[in-house]
Amino acid sequence: MVTLSNEPSAPRAIKRRNLGWLVGRRPALAVGVLLFAVLPLMANPYQVYVGNLALIYVILAVGLNILLGLAGQLSFANGALFGVGAYATGLLRLDAGLPFWLALPVGTAITVAIGLAVALPALRLRGLYLALATVAFAQFALWTFVHWDSVTHGTAGFVMAPVDFTALGLRTTTGIYYLSLVLAVLLVAAAYGIMRSRVGRALVALRESEVAAESIAVDITRTKIVAYTLTAVYAGVAGGLFAGLLNVVVPESFNLFQIVLQFCMVVVGGLGSIAGSAIAAVLLIVLQEGLRGMQDLQEIGLGLLLLGMLLFAPGGLVQALRRWLPGWTEPHSRGGDE
Amino acid sequence: MADLSIERLSLSFGGLAALSDVDIAVPAGEIRGIIGPNGAGKTTLLNVISGLVRPTEGEIRLDGQPLTRLKASEVAARGVGRTFQTSLLFKGMTVLENVMAGMHQGLRTSVLAAAVGLPGVLREERRARERAREALAFVGMLSFAERDGASLSFGQQRLVEIARSLVAEPKVLLLDEPAVGLSPPRVAELDELLRRIRDKRGITIIMVEHVIRLVMGVCDRITVLNSGRKIADGTPDVILADPFVKEAYLGKSSDADRA
Repeated sequence: MVTLSNEPSAPRAIKRRNLGWLVGRRPALAVGVLLFAVLPLMANPYQVYVGNLALIYVILAVGLNILLGLAGQLSFANGALFGVGAYATGLLRLDAGLPFWLALPVGTAITVAIGLAVALPALRLRGLYLALATVAFAQFALWTFVHWDSVTHGTAGFVMAPVDFTALGLRTTTGIYYLSLVLAVLLVAAAYGIMRSRVGRALVALRESEVAAESIAVDITRTKIVAYTLTAVYAGVAGGLFAGLLNVVVPESFNLFQIVLQFCMVVVGGLGSIAGSAIAAVLLIVLQEGLRGMQDLQEIGLGLLLLGMLLFAPGGLVQALRRWLPGWTEPHSRGGDE
Repeated sequence: MADLSIERLSLSFGGLAALSDVDIAVPAGEIRGIIGPNGAGKTTLLNVISGLVRPTEGEIRLDGQPLTRLKASEVAARGVGRTFQTSLLFKGMTVLENVMAGMHQGLRTSVLAAAVGLPGVLREERRARERAREALAFVGMLSFAERDGASLSFGQQRLVEIARSLVAEPKVLLLDEPAVGLSPPRVAELDELLRRIRDKRGITIIMVEHVIRLVMGVCDRITVLNSGRKIADGTPDVILADPFVKEAYLGKSSDADRA
Protein backbone atom coordinates (compact mmCIF):
# COMPACT_ATOMS: atom_id res chain seq x y z
CA MET A 1 0.00 0.00 0.00
CA VAL A 2 1.53 3.29 -1.02
CA THR A 3 1.01 6.49 0.78
CA LEU A 4 2.25 9.47 -1.09
CA SER A 5 0.98 11.49 1.79
CA ASN A 6 3.55 13.18 3.94
CA GLU A 7 1.87 12.60 7.24
CA PRO A 8 -1.81 11.79 7.51
CA SER A 9 -2.95 14.49 9.88
CA ALA A 10 -6.32 14.34 11.59
CA PRO A 11 -8.96 16.13 9.56
CA ARG A 12 -10.25 19.28 11.18
CA ALA A 13 -13.82 18.06 10.88
CA ILE A 14 -13.38 15.75 13.83
CA LYS A 15 -12.34 18.54 16.17
CA ARG A 16 -15.28 20.67 15.04
CA ARG A 17 -17.88 18.20 16.22
CA ASN A 18 -17.05 18.43 19.91
CA LEU A 19 -17.82 22.10 20.15
CA GLY A 20 -21.38 21.30 19.36
CA TRP A 21 -23.64 21.44 16.37
CA LEU A 22 -25.82 24.01 18.14
CA VAL A 23 -24.02 26.87 16.46
CA GLY A 24 -24.03 25.07 13.14
CA ARG A 25 -25.63 26.21 9.93
CA ARG A 26 -28.77 24.08 10.11
CA PRO A 27 -29.87 25.13 13.61
CA ALA A 28 -29.10 28.76 12.74
CA LEU A 29 -31.26 28.58 9.63
CA ALA A 30 -34.02 26.83 11.58
CA VAL A 31 -34.02 29.58 14.19
CA GLY A 32 -34.14 32.15 11.42
CA VAL A 33 -37.17 30.49 9.86
CA LEU A 34 -38.86 30.31 13.26
CA LEU A 35 -38.28 34.00 13.90
CA PHE A 36 -39.74 34.85 10.51
CA ALA A 37 -42.70 32.56 11.19
CA VAL A 38 -43.68 34.36 14.40
CA LEU A 39 -42.83 37.89 13.25
CA PRO A 40 -46.37 38.78 12.03
CA LEU A 41 -47.77 37.82 15.45
CA MET A 42 -45.76 40.44 17.30
CA ALA A 43 -44.69 43.12 14.83
CA ASN A 44 -46.40 46.19 13.46
CA PRO A 45 -47.46 46.29 9.77
CA TYR A 46 -44.35 48.19 8.72
CA GLN A 47 -42.07 45.62 10.32
CA VAL A 48 -44.04 42.85 8.65
CA TYR A 49 -43.55 44.63 5.33
CA VAL A 50 -39.78 44.86 5.91
CA GLY A 51 -39.71 41.18 6.89
CA ASN A 52 -41.58 40.30 3.73
CA LEU A 53 -39.20 42.36 1.61
CA ALA A 54 -36.30 40.58 3.29
CA LEU A 55 -37.81 37.18 2.42
CA ILE A 56 -38.17 38.23 -1.22
CA TYR A 57 -34.55 39.31 -1.29
CA VAL A 58 -33.50 36.03 0.32
CA ILE A 59 -35.01 34.30 -2.73
CA LEU A 60 -33.32 36.77 -5.08
CA ALA A 61 -29.89 36.58 -3.47
CA VAL A 62 -29.89 32.79 -3.13
CA GLY A 63 -30.91 32.57 -6.80
CA LEU A 64 -28.21 35.00 -7.94
CA ASN A 65 -25.68 33.11 -5.86
CA ILE A 66 -26.26 30.03 -8.02
CA LEU A 67 -25.18 31.89 -11.15
CA LEU A 68 -22.62 34.25 -9.61
CA GLY A 69 -21.28 32.34 -6.61
CA LEU A 70 -21.52 28.72 -7.67
CA ALA A 71 -21.20 28.85 -11.45
CA GLY A 72 -18.98 31.95 -11.41
CA GLN A 73 -20.80 33.78 -14.21
CA LEU A 74 -20.52 37.54 -13.82
CA SER A 75 -24.03 38.41 -15.00
CA PHE A 76 -25.69 41.75 -14.31
CA ALA A 77 -29.01 40.70 -15.78
CA ASN A 78 -30.65 39.68 -12.52
CA GLY A 79 -32.00 43.09 -11.51
CA ALA A 80 -33.76 43.28 -14.85
CA LEU A 81 -35.04 39.71 -14.59
CA PHE A 82 -36.44 40.53 -11.17
CA GLY A 83 -38.26 43.35 -12.96
CA VAL A 84 -39.49 41.03 -15.69
CA GLY A 85 -40.90 38.77 -12.98
CA ALA A 86 -42.67 41.67 -11.29
CA TYR A 87 -44.00 43.09 -14.56
CA ALA A 88 -45.07 39.69 -15.91
CA THR A 89 -46.97 38.68 -12.79
CA GLY A 90 -48.42 42.15 -12.35
CA LEU A 91 -49.54 42.59 -15.94
CA LEU A 92 -51.00 39.07 -16.09
CA ARG A 93 -53.20 40.02 -13.16
CA LEU A 94 -54.04 43.55 -14.26
CA ASP A 95 -54.45 43.22 -18.01
CA ALA A 96 -54.95 39.50 -18.60
CA GLY A 97 -57.17 39.06 -15.55
CA LEU A 98 -55.36 36.00 -14.22
CA PRO A 99 -55.64 35.25 -10.51
CA PHE A 100 -52.42 35.71 -8.52
CA TRP A 101 -51.87 31.99 -7.92
CA LEU A 102 -51.79 31.50 -11.69
CA ALA A 103 -50.06 34.76 -12.59
CA LEU A 104 -47.07 33.99 -10.33
CA PRO A 105 -46.04 30.69 -12.00
CA VAL A 106 -46.81 31.95 -15.50
CA GLY A 107 -44.88 35.15 -14.76
CA THR A 108 -41.98 33.03 -13.53
CA ALA A 109 -42.09 30.97 -16.73
CA ILE A 110 -41.95 34.19 -18.78
CA THR A 111 -38.97 35.36 -16.71
CA VAL A 112 -37.17 32.08 -17.38
CA ALA A 113 -37.90 32.37 -21.11
CA ILE A 114 -36.48 35.90 -21.23
CA GLY A 115 -33.58 34.85 -18.97
CA LEU A 116 -32.71 32.11 -21.43
CA ALA A 117 -32.99 34.50 -24.36
CA VAL A 118 -30.30 36.59 -22.62
CA ALA A 119 -28.29 33.53 -21.67
CA LEU A 120 -28.01 32.06 -25.15
CA PRO A 121 -25.87 34.87 -26.61
CA ALA A 122 -24.11 35.21 -23.24
CA LEU A 123 -22.99 31.57 -23.24
CA ARG A 124 -19.94 32.35 -25.33
CA LEU A 125 -18.94 35.33 -23.20
CA ARG A 126 -16.86 35.35 -20.07
CA GLY A 127 -15.77 37.78 -17.42
CA LEU A 128 -15.79 41.41 -18.48
CA TYR A 129 -17.52 40.75 -21.82
CA LEU A 130 -20.31 38.86 -20.11
CA ALA A 131 -20.64 41.69 -17.60
CA LEU A 132 -20.90 44.30 -20.38
CA ALA A 133 -23.42 42.30 -22.39
CA THR A 134 -25.63 41.74 -19.37
CA VAL A 135 -25.40 45.40 -18.28
CA ALA A 136 -26.58 46.26 -21.78
CA PHE A 137 -29.51 43.89 -21.34
CA ALA A 138 -30.36 45.43 -17.98
CA GLN A 139 -30.39 48.91 -19.52
CA PHE A 140 -32.46 47.69 -22.45
CA ALA A 141 -34.98 46.06 -20.10
CA LEU A 142 -35.27 49.28 -18.09
CA TRP A 143 -35.78 51.25 -21.30
CA THR A 144 -38.52 48.81 -22.29
CA PHE A 145 -40.27 49.14 -18.92
CA VAL A 146 -40.28 52.93 -19.35
CA HIS A 147 -41.03 53.30 -23.04
CA TRP A 148 -43.24 50.38 -24.08
CA ASP A 149 -46.26 52.28 -22.78
CA SER A 150 -48.91 50.15 -24.42
CA VAL A 151 -47.84 47.10 -22.42
CA THR A 152 -45.86 48.30 -19.39
CA HIS A 153 -47.90 51.45 -18.66
CA GLY A 154 -44.77 53.56 -19.02
CA THR A 155 -42.90 55.70 -16.51
CA ALA A 156 -45.65 55.80 -13.92
CA GLY A 157 -46.03 52.03 -13.83
CA PHE A 158 -49.30 50.53 -12.67
CA VAL A 159 -51.32 49.76 -9.59
CA MET A 160 -53.11 46.49 -8.91
CA ALA A 161 -55.82 45.42 -6.53
CA PRO A 162 -54.38 43.68 -3.45
CA VAL A 163 -54.06 39.92 -3.77
CA ASP A 164 -57.06 38.17 -2.26
CA PHE A 165 -56.26 35.58 0.43
CA THR A 166 -59.75 35.37 1.97
CA ALA A 167 -60.06 31.79 0.74
CA LEU A 168 -57.31 30.93 3.23
CA GLY A 169 -58.82 33.18 5.89
CA LEU A 170 -55.83 35.54 5.74
CA ARG A 171 -55.45 39.24 5.22
CA THR A 172 -53.53 40.26 2.09
CA THR A 173 -50.38 41.29 3.94
CA THR A 174 -50.31 38.14 6.07
CA GLY A 175 -51.06 35.98 3.05
CA ILE A 176 -48.23 37.41 0.93
CA TYR A 177 -45.92 37.24 3.93
CA TYR A 178 -46.46 33.55 4.60
CA LEU A 179 -46.44 32.70 0.90
CA SER A 180 -43.05 34.43 0.67
CA LEU A 181 -41.81 32.56 3.72
CA VAL A 182 -42.90 29.16 2.40
CA LEU A 183 -41.41 29.83 -1.04
CA ALA A 184 -38.18 31.16 0.48
CA VAL A 185 -37.79 28.05 2.63
CA LEU A 186 -38.55 25.73 -0.30
CA LEU A 187 -36.22 27.57 -2.67
CA VAL A 188 -33.37 27.71 -0.16
CA ALA A 189 -33.80 23.97 0.49
CA ALA A 190 -33.84 23.37 -3.26
CA ALA A 191 -30.64 25.37 -3.67
CA TYR A 192 -28.96 23.23 -1.01
CA GLY A 193 -30.21 20.05 -2.68
CA ILE A 194 -28.83 21.17 -6.01
CA MET A 195 -25.54 22.31 -4.55
CA ARG A 196 -24.89 18.99 -2.87
CA SER A 197 -25.61 16.97 -5.96
CA ARG A 198 -23.64 16.28 -9.13
CA VAL A 199 -25.26 19.40 -10.57
CA GLY A 200 -23.78 21.59 -7.85
CA ARG A 201 -20.36 20.02 -8.28
CA ALA A 202 -20.57 20.65 -12.03
CA LEU A 203 -21.42 24.31 -11.36
CA VAL A 204 -18.42 24.74 -9.09
CA ALA A 205 -16.21 22.91 -11.59
CA LEU A 206 -17.35 25.40 -14.21
CA ARG A 207 -16.53 28.31 -11.89
CA GLU A 208 -13.06 27.02 -11.07
CA SER A 209 -11.86 25.91 -14.50
CA GLU A 210 -13.76 25.29 -17.71
CA VAL A 211 -10.88 23.16 -19.00
CA ALA A 212 -10.82 20.93 -15.93
CA ALA A 213 -14.63 20.76 -15.94
CA GLU A 214 -14.60 19.49 -19.50
CA SER A 215 -11.99 16.92 -18.58
CA ILE A 216 -14.48 15.34 -16.18
CA ALA A 217 -17.15 15.28 -18.91
CA VAL A 218 -19.06 18.34 -17.72
CA ASP A 219 -20.77 19.93 -20.73
CA ILE A 220 -19.96 23.63 -20.32
CA THR A 221 -22.82 25.00 -22.40
CA ARG A 222 -25.41 22.82 -20.78
CA THR A 223 -24.21 23.57 -17.28
CA LYS A 224 -24.30 27.31 -17.95
CA ILE A 225 -27.86 27.00 -19.26
CA VAL A 226 -28.82 25.17 -16.07
CA ALA A 227 -27.31 27.98 -13.98
CA TYR A 228 -29.03 30.76 -15.93
CA THR A 229 -32.35 28.92 -15.82
CA LEU A 230 -32.22 28.32 -12.08
CA THR A 231 -31.32 31.92 -11.33
CA ALA A 232 -34.15 33.12 -13.58
CA VAL A 233 -36.63 30.91 -11.71
CA TYR A 234 -35.64 32.53 -8.41
CA ALA A 235 -35.76 36.03 -9.93
CA GLY A 236 -39.18 35.33 -11.45
CA VAL A 237 -40.70 34.07 -8.20
CA ALA A 238 -39.16 36.97 -6.27
CA GLY A 239 -40.43 39.47 -8.84
CA GLY A 240 -43.97 38.07 -8.69
CA LEU A 241 -43.99 38.23 -4.90
CA PHE A 242 -42.58 41.78 -5.03
CA ALA A 243 -45.47 42.85 -7.27
CA GLY A 244 -47.89 41.13 -4.88
CA LEU A 245 -46.33 42.82 -1.87
CA LEU A 246 -46.30 46.38 -3.21
CA ASN A 247 -49.35 46.23 -5.51
CA VAL A 248 -47.44 48.79 -7.52
CA VAL A 249 -44.90 48.15 -10.24
CA VAL A 250 -42.70 51.03 -11.40
CA PRO A 251 -39.64 50.90 -13.65
CA GLU A 252 -37.24 52.61 -11.26
CA SER A 253 -37.36 49.64 -8.87
CA PHE A 254 -35.25 47.75 -11.38
CA ASN A 255 -32.45 50.20 -12.17
CA LEU A 256 -28.75 49.77 -11.63
CA PHE A 257 -29.12 50.21 -7.87
CA GLN A 258 -31.16 47.01 -7.84
CA ILE A 259 -28.33 44.92 -9.23
CA VAL A 260 -25.77 46.57 -6.94
CA LEU A 261 -27.97 45.67 -4.00
CA GLN A 262 -28.24 42.03 -5.11
CA PHE A 263 -24.50 41.77 -5.82
CA CYS A 264 -23.85 43.20 -2.38
CA MET A 265 -25.95 40.48 -0.78
CA VAL A 266 -24.11 37.68 -2.55
CA VAL A 267 -20.66 39.16 -1.95
CA VAL A 268 -21.28 40.24 1.65
CA GLY A 269 -22.70 36.79 2.39
CA GLY A 270 -19.77 35.07 0.75
CA LEU A 271 -19.67 33.97 -2.89
CA GLY A 272 -21.00 30.47 -3.24
CA SER A 273 -22.55 30.29 0.22
CA ILE A 274 -26.33 29.86 0.24
CA ALA A 275 -26.65 30.59 3.95
CA GLY A 276 -24.42 33.63 3.51
CA SER A 277 -26.61 35.03 0.72
CA ALA A 278 -29.73 34.51 2.81
CA ILE A 279 -28.28 36.13 5.92
CA ALA A 280 -26.81 39.06 3.99
CA ALA A 281 -30.13 39.62 2.22
CA VAL A 282 -31.92 40.04 5.53
CA LEU A 283 -29.18 42.25 7.00
CA LEU A 284 -28.98 44.53 3.96
CA ILE A 285 -32.75 44.97 3.70
CA VAL A 286 -32.93 45.91 7.37
CA LEU A 287 -29.99 48.27 6.90
CA GLN A 288 -31.56 49.79 3.81
CA GLU A 289 -34.84 50.38 5.60
CA GLY A 290 -32.97 51.90 8.52
CA LEU A 291 -31.38 54.37 6.13
CA ARG A 292 -34.64 55.15 4.32
CA GLY A 293 -35.03 58.84 3.72
CA MET A 294 -31.33 59.13 3.12
CA GLN A 295 -31.28 57.88 -0.44
CA ASP A 296 -27.78 59.16 -1.16
CA LEU A 297 -26.39 57.57 1.95
CA GLN A 298 -28.00 54.28 0.94
CA GLU A 299 -26.23 54.14 -2.38
CA ILE A 300 -22.88 55.37 -1.08
CA GLY A 301 -23.15 53.03 1.89
CA LEU A 302 -23.81 50.00 -0.29
CA GLY A 303 -20.96 50.89 -2.61
CA LEU A 304 -18.57 51.26 0.30
CA LEU A 305 -19.78 48.03 1.85
CA LEU A 306 -19.23 46.13 -1.41
CA LEU A 307 -15.77 47.63 -1.85
CA GLY A 308 -14.84 47.00 1.76
CA MET A 309 -15.93 43.39 1.66
CA LEU A 310 -14.06 42.74 -1.59
CA LEU A 311 -10.90 44.29 -0.18
CA PHE A 312 -10.89 43.07 3.39
CA ALA A 313 -13.18 40.06 3.61
CA PRO A 314 -13.49 38.42 0.21
CA GLY A 315 -14.82 35.28 1.89
CA GLY A 316 -17.81 37.24 3.19
CA LEU A 317 -19.85 36.83 6.34
CA VAL A 318 -19.86 33.09 6.03
CA GLN A 319 -16.10 32.90 6.30
CA ALA A 320 -16.24 34.77 9.58
CA LEU A 321 -19.00 32.43 10.73
CA ARG A 322 -16.89 29.42 9.83
CA ARG A 323 -13.95 30.84 11.69
CA TRP A 324 -15.82 31.80 14.87
CA LEU A 325 -18.40 29.05 15.00
CA PRO A 326 -16.68 25.70 14.81
CA GLY A 327 -19.93 23.87 14.08
CA TRP A 328 -20.54 25.88 10.95
CA THR A 329 -19.81 23.99 7.76
CA GLU A 330 -20.47 25.48 4.40
CA PRO A 331 -20.04 23.36 1.30
CA HIS A 332 -18.73 24.76 -1.98
CA SER A 333 -18.33 28.37 -0.97
CA ARG A 334 -15.43 30.20 -2.54
CA GLY A 335 -14.03 30.85 0.90
CA GLY A 336 -11.49 33.53 -0.02
CA ASP A 337 -7.95 32.79 1.11
CA GLU A 338 -7.81 31.10 4.43
CA MET B 1 -8.67 -2.05 -22.07
CA ALA B 2 -8.61 0.20 -25.03
CA ASP B 3 -6.18 1.27 -27.68
CA LEU B 4 -5.65 4.76 -28.93
CA SER B 5 -4.37 5.60 -32.36
CA ILE B 6 -3.24 8.94 -33.65
CA GLU B 7 -3.02 9.16 -37.43
CA ARG B 8 -1.24 11.86 -39.45
CA LEU B 9 -2.11 14.47 -36.87
CA SER B 10 -1.26 18.05 -37.73
CA LEU B 11 -2.05 21.29 -36.01
CA SER B 12 -1.01 24.72 -37.07
CA PHE B 13 -1.75 28.11 -35.63
CA GLY B 14 -1.80 30.53 -38.57
CA GLY B 15 1.04 28.90 -40.50
CA LEU B 16 3.02 27.97 -37.41
CA ALA B 17 3.07 24.18 -37.14
CA ALA B 18 2.61 22.98 -33.56
CA LEU B 19 2.26 19.36 -34.62
CA SER B 20 3.04 17.92 -38.02
CA ASP B 21 2.11 14.53 -39.29
CA VAL B 22 2.27 12.75 -35.97
CA ASP B 23 1.46 9.02 -35.98
CA ILE B 24 1.26 7.21 -32.67
CA ALA B 25 -0.39 3.87 -31.96
CA VAL B 26 -0.83 3.00 -28.31
CA PRO B 27 -2.06 -0.57 -27.82
CA ALA B 28 -4.45 -1.44 -25.02
CA GLY B 29 -2.84 -1.74 -21.60
CA GLU B 30 0.34 0.07 -22.52
CA ILE B 31 2.03 2.81 -20.53
CA ARG B 32 3.33 5.21 -23.15
CA GLY B 33 5.74 8.02 -22.43
CA ILE B 34 5.91 11.17 -24.50
CA ILE B 35 9.16 13.07 -24.14
CA GLY B 36 10.82 15.93 -25.93
CA PRO B 37 12.32 19.35 -25.27
CA ASN B 38 10.18 22.30 -24.16
CA GLY B 39 8.00 23.49 -27.00
CA ALA B 40 8.09 20.11 -28.71
CA GLY B 41 4.30 19.93 -28.71
CA LYS B 42 3.79 17.37 -25.94
CA THR B 43 1.08 19.19 -23.99
CA THR B 44 -0.46 20.35 -27.26
CA LEU B 45 -0.72 16.70 -28.27
CA LEU B 46 -2.57 15.88 -25.03
CA ASN B 47 -4.85 18.89 -25.60
CA VAL B 48 -5.68 17.68 -29.09
CA ILE B 49 -6.37 14.13 -27.88
CA SER B 50 -8.65 15.39 -25.12
CA GLY B 51 -10.55 17.61 -27.55
CA LEU B 52 -9.53 20.98 -26.10
CA VAL B 53 -7.85 21.89 -29.37
CA ARG B 54 -9.15 20.81 -32.75
CA PRO B 55 -6.46 19.44 -35.10
CA THR B 56 -5.97 20.93 -38.54
CA GLU B 57 -5.67 17.46 -40.01
CA GLY B 58 -5.57 13.86 -38.95
CA GLU B 59 -7.65 11.51 -36.90
CA ILE B 60 -7.62 10.21 -33.33
CA ARG B 61 -9.39 6.94 -32.62
CA LEU B 62 -10.26 5.21 -29.37
CA ASP B 63 -10.86 1.51 -30.06
CA GLY B 64 -11.36 2.46 -33.69
CA GLN B 65 -13.98 5.11 -32.94
CA PRO B 66 -13.01 8.61 -34.07
CA LEU B 67 -12.72 11.23 -31.30
CA THR B 68 -11.51 14.04 -33.49
CA ARG B 69 -14.68 16.00 -34.00
CA LEU B 70 -16.01 15.73 -30.46
CA LYS B 71 -16.15 18.39 -27.76
CA ALA B 72 -13.74 17.98 -24.88
CA SER B 73 -16.53 16.93 -22.52
CA GLU B 74 -17.66 14.28 -25.03
CA VAL B 75 -14.12 12.94 -25.38
CA ALA B 76 -13.99 12.64 -21.59
CA ALA B 77 -17.38 10.95 -21.58
CA ARG B 78 -16.08 8.38 -24.09
CA GLY B 79 -13.41 7.33 -21.62
CA VAL B 80 -10.41 9.63 -21.96
CA GLY B 81 -9.42 11.04 -18.57
CA ARG B 82 -6.62 13.48 -17.92
CA THR B 83 -4.66 15.48 -15.41
CA PHE B 84 -2.97 18.81 -15.95
CA GLN B 85 0.50 20.23 -15.60
CA THR B 86 -0.60 22.76 -13.04
CA SER B 87 -3.06 21.26 -10.62
CA LEU B 88 -6.64 22.11 -11.46
CA LEU B 89 -8.40 20.94 -8.34
CA PHE B 90 -11.66 22.79 -7.75
CA LYS B 91 -11.30 25.33 -4.95
CA GLY B 92 -14.06 25.53 -2.40
CA MET B 93 -14.57 21.78 -2.49
CA THR B 94 -13.04 19.23 -0.19
CA VAL B 95 -10.74 16.58 -1.58
CA LEU B 96 -13.61 14.08 -1.45
CA GLU B 97 -15.99 16.43 -3.26
CA ASN B 98 -13.36 17.02 -5.92
CA VAL B 99 -13.15 13.31 -6.55
CA MET B 100 -16.95 13.00 -6.53
CA ALA B 101 -17.05 15.74 -9.17
CA GLY B 102 -15.10 13.36 -11.39
CA MET B 103 -18.09 11.01 -11.38
CA HIS B 104 -20.29 13.52 -13.18
CA GLN B 105 -20.81 11.27 -16.17
CA GLY B 106 -21.67 8.16 -14.16
CA LEU B 107 -24.33 9.79 -11.97
CA ARG B 108 -27.90 10.34 -13.06
CA THR B 109 -29.40 12.91 -10.66
CA SER B 110 -31.24 15.65 -12.55
CA VAL B 111 -31.57 19.27 -11.44
CA LEU B 112 -35.19 18.76 -10.52
CA ALA B 113 -34.58 15.57 -8.54
CA ALA B 114 -31.75 17.28 -6.66
CA ALA B 115 -33.88 20.37 -5.94
CA VAL B 116 -36.74 18.29 -4.56
CA GLY B 117 -34.38 15.92 -2.78
CA LEU B 118 -35.85 12.63 -3.93
CA PRO B 119 -34.69 9.57 -1.95
CA GLY B 120 -32.90 8.19 -5.03
CA VAL B 121 -30.67 11.26 -4.99
CA LEU B 122 -29.42 10.55 -1.48
CA ARG B 123 -28.80 6.90 -2.33
CA GLU B 124 -26.79 7.89 -5.37
CA GLU B 125 -24.81 10.42 -3.32
CA ARG B 126 -23.95 7.75 -0.76
CA ARG B 127 -22.76 5.42 -3.49
CA ALA B 128 -20.76 8.19 -5.11
CA ARG B 129 -19.17 9.03 -1.76
CA GLU B 130 -18.17 5.39 -1.28
CA ARG B 131 -16.62 5.12 -4.70
CA ALA B 132 -14.77 8.40 -4.28
CA ARG B 133 -13.33 7.16 -0.98
CA GLU B 134 -12.28 3.96 -2.68
CA ALA B 135 -10.46 5.93 -5.40
CA LEU B 136 -8.76 8.09 -2.77
CA ALA B 137 -7.62 4.96 -0.95
CA PHE B 138 -6.29 3.62 -4.25
CA VAL B 139 -3.98 6.62 -4.67
CA GLY B 140 -3.17 6.70 -0.95
CA MET B 141 -4.96 9.96 -0.15
CA LEU B 142 -7.95 8.75 1.86
CA SER B 143 -6.79 10.40 5.09
CA PHE B 144 -7.06 13.76 3.31
CA ALA B 145 -10.67 13.28 2.18
CA GLU B 146 -12.16 16.10 4.27
CA ARG B 147 -9.34 18.56 3.67
CA ASP B 148 -9.56 21.60 1.45
CA GLY B 149 -7.86 20.72 -1.85
CA ALA B 150 -5.87 23.95 -1.86
CA SER B 151 -4.16 23.04 1.43
CA LEU B 152 -2.35 20.07 -0.13
CA SER B 153 1.13 20.00 -1.63
CA PHE B 154 1.43 19.91 -5.42
CA GLY B 155 2.28 16.24 -5.40
CA GLN B 156 -0.75 15.45 -3.27
CA GLN B 157 -3.02 17.59 -5.44
CA ARG B 158 -1.88 15.66 -8.47
CA LEU B 159 -2.75 12.37 -6.77
CA VAL B 160 -6.22 13.71 -6.02
CA GLU B 161 -6.50 14.72 -9.67
CA ILE B 162 -5.59 11.18 -10.64
CA ALA B 163 -8.28 9.85 -8.28
CA ARG B 164 -10.75 12.32 -9.80
CA SER B 165 -9.97 10.88 -13.24
CA LEU B 166 -10.10 7.29 -12.04
CA VAL B 167 -13.64 7.47 -10.62
CA ALA B 168 -14.91 8.17 -14.13
CA GLU B 169 -13.52 4.73 -15.07
CA PRO B 170 -11.62 5.97 -18.11
CA LYS B 171 -10.24 3.64 -20.74
CA VAL B 172 -7.27 5.88 -21.39
CA LEU B 173 -5.63 8.25 -18.93
CA LEU B 174 -3.57 11.21 -20.13
CA LEU B 175 -1.08 12.52 -17.57
CA ASP B 176 0.75 15.80 -18.07
CA GLU B 177 4.00 15.77 -16.10
CA PRO B 178 2.69 13.92 -13.05
CA ALA B 179 6.12 13.80 -11.41
CA VAL B 180 6.86 17.53 -11.43
CA GLY B 181 8.04 18.64 -8.03
CA LEU B 182 8.16 15.16 -6.48
CA SER B 183 11.14 13.97 -4.45
CA PRO B 184 12.83 10.72 -5.62
CA PRO B 185 10.99 8.46 -3.12
CA ARG B 186 7.68 9.97 -4.23
CA VAL B 187 8.62 9.38 -7.85
CA ALA B 188 9.14 5.71 -7.01
CA GLU B 189 5.67 5.61 -5.43
CA LEU B 190 4.17 7.23 -8.49
CA ASP B 191 5.89 4.61 -10.65
CA GLU B 192 4.19 1.92 -8.60
CA LEU B 193 0.81 3.71 -8.70
CA LEU B 194 0.91 3.97 -12.48
CA ARG B 195 1.55 0.24 -12.77
CA ARG B 196 -1.38 -0.50 -10.46
CA ILE B 197 -3.64 1.80 -12.49
CA ARG B 198 -2.77 -0.22 -15.58
CA ASP B 199 -2.79 -3.68 -13.98
CA LYS B 200 -5.70 -3.42 -11.54
CA ARG B 201 -7.92 -0.98 -13.44
CA GLY B 202 -6.96 -1.96 -16.95
CA ILE B 203 -6.34 1.60 -18.02
CA THR B 204 -4.06 2.55 -20.89
CA ILE B 205 -1.79 5.44 -19.88
CA ILE B 206 -0.22 8.15 -22.02
CA MET B 207 2.15 10.29 -20.01
CA VAL B 208 4.10 13.42 -20.87
CA GLU B 209 7.04 13.54 -18.50
CA HIS B 210 10.40 15.19 -18.05
CA VAL B 211 11.63 13.04 -15.20
CA ILE B 212 13.61 10.55 -17.26
CA ARG B 213 13.99 8.05 -14.44
CA LEU B 214 10.21 7.64 -14.22
CA VAL B 215 9.73 7.50 -17.98
CA MET B 216 12.46 4.93 -18.50
CA GLY B 217 11.33 2.88 -15.53
CA VAL B 218 7.61 2.61 -16.07
CA CYS B 219 6.89 3.11 -19.77
CA ASP B 220 6.53 0.20 -22.16
CA ARG B 221 7.30 2.45 -25.09
CA ILE B 222 8.38 6.01 -25.52
CA THR B 223 7.59 8.49 -28.27
CA VAL B 224 9.95 11.40 -28.76
CA LEU B 225 8.65 14.68 -30.14
CA ASN B 226 10.75 17.55 -31.38
CA SER B 227 9.35 20.74 -32.94
CA GLY B 228 5.99 19.08 -33.37
CA ARG B 229 7.34 16.03 -35.17
CA LYS B 230 7.77 12.51 -34.00
CA ILE B 231 11.49 11.77 -34.18
CA ALA B 232 11.60 8.39 -32.47
CA ASP B 233 9.35 5.70 -31.06
CA GLY B 234 10.47 2.59 -29.22
CA THR B 235 11.20 0.79 -25.98
CA PRO B 236 13.16 2.72 -23.33
CA ASP B 237 16.40 0.91 -24.23
CA VAL B 238 16.09 1.78 -27.88
CA ILE B 239 15.23 5.39 -27.08
CA LEU B 240 18.18 5.78 -24.70
CA ALA B 241 20.51 4.44 -27.38
CA ASP B 242 19.15 6.52 -30.24
CA PRO B 243 21.78 9.10 -31.20
CA PHE B 244 19.20 11.40 -32.75
CA VAL B 245 17.26 11.42 -29.46
CA LYS B 246 20.43 12.11 -27.51
CA GLU B 247 21.19 15.11 -29.60
CA ALA B 248 17.68 16.50 -29.84
CA TYR B 249 16.68 15.96 -26.27
CA LEU B 250 18.89 14.29 -23.72
CA GLY B 251 22.18 15.79 -24.82
CA LYS B 252 21.31 19.39 -25.19
CA SER B 253 18.69 19.83 -22.52
CA SER B 254 19.28 20.39 -18.85
CA ASP B 255 16.66 17.73 -18.32
CA ALA B 256 19.38 15.15 -18.69
CA ASP B 257 20.57 16.19 -15.23
CA ARG B 258 17.43 14.82 -13.72
CA ALA B 259 17.98 11.39 -15.25
